[in-house]
Amino acid sequence: MKKKLEIVAYKCKKCGKLHYPYHDRCLKCMNREFDKVEPQGNAKLLTFTRIYNLPWGFDERYLTIGVVEFENGIRAMGRIKADEKYALKTGMKMLPSWEPIRVQYGENVYGLTLEPGG
Amino acid sequence: MRDVAIIGAGIIPFGRRDEDTLMDMLAYASLKALDDAGLGDKSVDAVYVGNMGGGIIQHQTAIASSLVDRLNLLPAAAETIENGPASGGSAFKNGLLAVASGYYDFVLVVGGEKMREVTGWRATDFVATMTHPQAEYPYGITLPGLAGMFTRLYMEKYGVTREMLVSVALKNQEMGTLNPFAHVEMAISKEGILDDPASIVNNPTVADPLHLYDACPVSDGAAAVVLCPLDMAKKLNKVPVQIVGFGQATDNQTLQEREDPTDLKAVTLAAQKAFDMAKLKPADIDVAELHDAFTILEIAESEHIGFFKKGEGGKAALAGKTRLGGQIPINMSGGLKARGHPVGGTGVAQIVDIVFQLRHELPKDRQVKNAQKGLTINFGGFGNNVLVFILRRVEQ
Repeated sequence: MKKKLEIVAYKCKKCGKLHYPYHDRCLKCMNREFDKVEPQGNAKLLTFTRIYNLPWGFDERYLTIGVVEFENGIRAMGRIKADEKYALKTGMKMLPSWEPIRVQYGENVYGLTLEPGG
Repeated sequence: MRDVAIIGAGIIPFGRRDEDTLMDMLAYASLKALDDAGLGDKSVDAVYVGNMGGGIIQHQTAIASSLVDRLNLLPAAAETIENGPASGGSAFKNGLLAVASGYYDFVLVVGGEKMREVTGWRATDFVATMTHPQAEYPYGITLPGLAGMFTRLYMEKYGVTREMLVSVALKNQEMGTLNPFAHVEMAISKEGILDDPASIVNNPTVADPLHLYDACPVSDGAAAVVLCPLDMAKKLNKVPVQIVGFGQATDNQTLQEREDPTDLKAVTLAAQKAFDMAKLKPADIDVAELHDAFTILEIAESEHIGFFKKGEGGKAALAGKTRLGGQIPINMSGGLKARGHPVGGTGVAQIVDIVFQLRHELPKDRQVKNAQKGLTINFGGFGNNVLVFILRRVEQ
């Protein structure tokens, strides 16, 4: 069964600005009260990179990572599931999922994954 | 507030220094700066040490306390300043403010890092610990990765090309071959890293669209300066270098939360503060050391600091305007790209290089003729904590 995206963004109750990750004070108006908002719909790829010099903790040959914007305006980083031959382009639609992105201390760590063509 | 001057500067060769501990390097650079200042066996009032990774890489904390003991600078006040890759700049700022306030007269500032005692895998992870712990780090993002995403946006928005990026790498590596303190002393050619089909082997992708020669090396190294009030400096033999401008600014930690991720707001704001304080404008600067951890950053910073209009920095680099003898010579030390980037040491090393320039002590092939005013940008995180300093030669 597909897992729910466990990304929680915070919408300022006063000015409506969306925040992800969390801030204690609104980045626009300094207000301290927020409504929790979940990402909705597909996501648009804003930028991406494919990294070949990986940090400790990864055994893959490369990682493809991007930043997307969801239909309700939330922006988040995610792992892109596309091999080297796939021609990624900024602006393309991505299908989001919540899946294991790494293993730490023997446990799966879940995060946002993105598949082109959503 | 008192006017403050640099009266001593020292740097040790950057690179892979297997024979030295972190403390060895900090001590060597400190002694060179103290000797350069002509302080002899005298002590200083305070010591500020810029270091990012001692606690993680060397499993060593309270580094400044250890350094004053090793150098017998006791009972000087001592603090270690950790502010990511801007640790050196932050340590220098603390020294500057301490002397300017009138609380201390003689202050030693040293920055250093020993990164090569762990594998590249570990060093990359150590540097990535400055990313957001929930929204970025778990994905395996690295600083080259953030730079790659930034570069893609900058290329799309401003038409920066790989040839422009390569022109920065060529200039800085050429300057590195002339700098005895540089980590990378290897000349490269455009053919070898861009034009020739073999360049895909020589210059592989590190973080698309950035390649190996777009990135700085992982370095060991340290640098140090001695500060005192300008009126005291004028009584000493060295040409004093006054700190006439300083600015620091911060920005959102994650690129995704910046309204325009290509806008390095903290650079612009820190520069405005520094230029306002110095009562100078970008055109008054004779030489600059910018934080070129990646070639794109030299181009973007040269625009955000005001040397060139937005979108013109890459063209200026390609046209040779940032070379020795050009409109504004940038990174005549080789920059982070060739001098190297021991993260906590870089901010101080930049100051040392500008001091050498303003004292007119460098050989002709690196010396900006009659340089009077210099500028540094020390860029922390991915542009979320930036320090800008403006220095001026004081004629005796």
